[in-house]
Amino acid sequence: MSADRQHPDGGDLHTPRGPLDAGGHELQDQPPRTLVPAVPEVTAHPSRTLWGDAWMRLRKNKLAIAGLTWITFIIIVTVSADLWVPQNFAEPTSTEFASMQAPSADHPFGTDRIGRDVFSRVVYGARVSLAVGILAVSISLVIGLALGSLSGYYGGLLDAFVMRTADIFFAFPYTLFAIALLAVLGPSYRNVFIAIGILGWPSIARVLRSSILSVKENEYVDAARAMGASDLRIMLRHIMPNAIAPIIVYGTMSIGGAIITEAALSYLGMGVQPPTPSWGGMLSEAKALMIPAPWLTVWPGFAILTTVLSFVLMGDGLRDALDVKMKD
Amino acid sequence: MGSLLEVTDLKTHFHTRDGVVKAVDGVSFSLAEGQTLAIVGESGSGKSVTALSLMRLIADPPGKIAGGRILFRDENVLEMSDEQIRSLRGDRIAMIFQDPMTSLNPVFRVGYQIAEALRLHKGMDRKAANARAVEMLELVGIPNAPSRARDYPHQFSGGMRQRGMIAMALACDPDILIADEPTTALDVTIQAQILELMIEMQQRTGAAIIMITHDLGVVADMANDVMVMYAGRQVEYGTTDDVYYRPLHPYTWGLLDSLPRHDISEKGDLCPINGQPPSLIDIPSGCAFHPRCPYAKDVCRTDVPELREIEPGHSSACHFSGEPEFTRDVMPCSADMEVE
Repeated sequence: MSADRQHPDGGDLHTPRGPLDAGGHELQDQPPRTLVPAVPEVTAHPSRTLWGDAWMRLRKNKLAIAGLTWITFIIIVTVSADLWVPQNFAEPTSTEFASMQAPSADHPFGTDRIGRDVFSRVVYGARVSLAVGILAVSISLVIGLALGSLSGYYGGLLDAFVMRTADIFFAFPYTLFAIALLAVLGPSYRNVFIAIGILGWPSIARVLRSSILSVKENEYVDAARAMGASDLRIMLRHIMPNAIAPIIVYGTMSIGGAIITEAALSYLGMGVQPPTPSWGGMLSEAKALMIPAPWLTVWPGFAILTTVLSFVLMGDGLRDALDVKMKD
Repeated sequence: MGSLLEVTDLKTHFHTRDGVVKAVDGVSFSLAEGQTLAIVGESGSGKSVTALSLMRLIADPPGKIAGGRILFRDENVLEMSDEQIRSLRGDRIAMIFQDPMTSLNPVFRVGYQIAEALRLHKGMDRKAANARAVEMLELVGIPNAPSRARDYPHQFSGGMRQRGMIAMALACDPDILIADEPTTALDVTIQAQILELMIEMQQRTGAAIIMITHDLGVVADMANDVMVMYAGRQVEYGTTDDVYYRPLHPYTWGLLDSLPRHDISEKGDLCPINGQPPSLIDIPSGCAFHPRCPYAKDVCRTDVPELREIEPGHSSACHFSGEPEFTRDVMPCSADMEVE
């Protein structure tokens, strides 16, 4: 110890030297092994596509896969409903005392106040919910992508105009704005997704704009311009693919959001009109009967919960999967 | 027939909130076929803006080419339509950027990106363009090019990416290759390889090169002519031999003295140029270099020195250049000088 204190440099040098010597001896013992070049490993890496890589990463995310499975299941059930759902969702079953029956073999989810089969109503309600979710988000995407990309790419006055318009949309409480729009358009299935779609574009435009703002500073955008690419080409081929990942994530999650909004609007009576079943509408009808007939609220509530959760989990998984820099 | 590129009195200004930034203020030079011109200067001296102006790649606003003439094969680039300038970019004049890590698009295969230029300018179909891309990658020394062309940029190392960029820039067989500090982001051994590659490719394709750098060591082997810039203006312009062996401007002297050299005694201290380059919004009166110049006299504070031809083909923008007793040997180390 005292020697180390007198010569701190020497002491420092000696400590790491021990293990190094040991390593050196080991190497000398087995020289042939280290002489085998590792070249084949370097060159033989699989050259997958970007989307292939993303799918590989997504597959490892169990929650995202659970979400994807559930969504696929619901879509299959909904699309094929006409082929196998026995009861009519709109008409009461013919039995006289069929109203508010508890779940049974005939009616697995029970019947509602006027004797309609809850199971078939939940299945057909999925049509409305999924259609509204997907169509509304599609509308938001079309408007949001167009305005967001122009805004982010060209900037200046156009950007200011688009973003201030978006601010105006953000200034009103979302649900209140939707109700006001539906009051003008009239409550109907079609108008619900139009209203939700119109209200959704500002967020999409904003997310895309900020994404483009950061992507367009990259040198490969300058390089593309120096190569003689046109604005449109730079936008579509070079900026968009690098800026689109957050939109895919946000879009997936907002399908869940749109389903919730549709449920809320239908609950308030501003959405899909009876007798067309929708999950929100079913909750609304059942709210007074929660104690005598809990199955009326449980099933549509469960359907909303799981579907929205599935979209959110999948969006979350996509965010990780689409990040090129995240290597495993 | 004139030279390949003839730039006269080029002025590129940026209109910012704080005022007009004269990033390039009256630069003139010419470039002959197959020659190499080096543009040298500190950060912010206007080197890159000069290069970007040649291809009209200055973002407008805030930038604006305020004056001058750029003749490429006797056609004024500044008067071309957008269509014409786009067909020039990448095809006749190509560019390599500083940071190879970000100058390739991460979502496309390297081969595809090289092929893109060919399909755009040469009208090649996908197959021919891909074959040519592989050929280019082979030329720039990427081993196993056919399979490497199918890689994404993140599977390439920094040096390989810069090789890929060179392949992309040279794919269309351009007349001029502009290299904006192509080796700054690379380590020293890779730097040497890339420079060697550029010289080799120049011999092969006959392209003229405009090399932008702040490293005088880089240009010595490569350039035929050197242009030294300071605060948006040319301070010295001549052949490489002239500028290296008979430099005329005190700023060039300072640059050369601040270079570590192995042929001079190791004990000798480096002699840096004192102070900072000026803000281009508030350029010093008279000679922009006078606050840092050990020779500055009254006339330097008031009169802007014109670029004068001191010897044939060798010009300098200093009031005293050409005076017999005004030579580099008498230059004191400016680091010892007090900057006002």
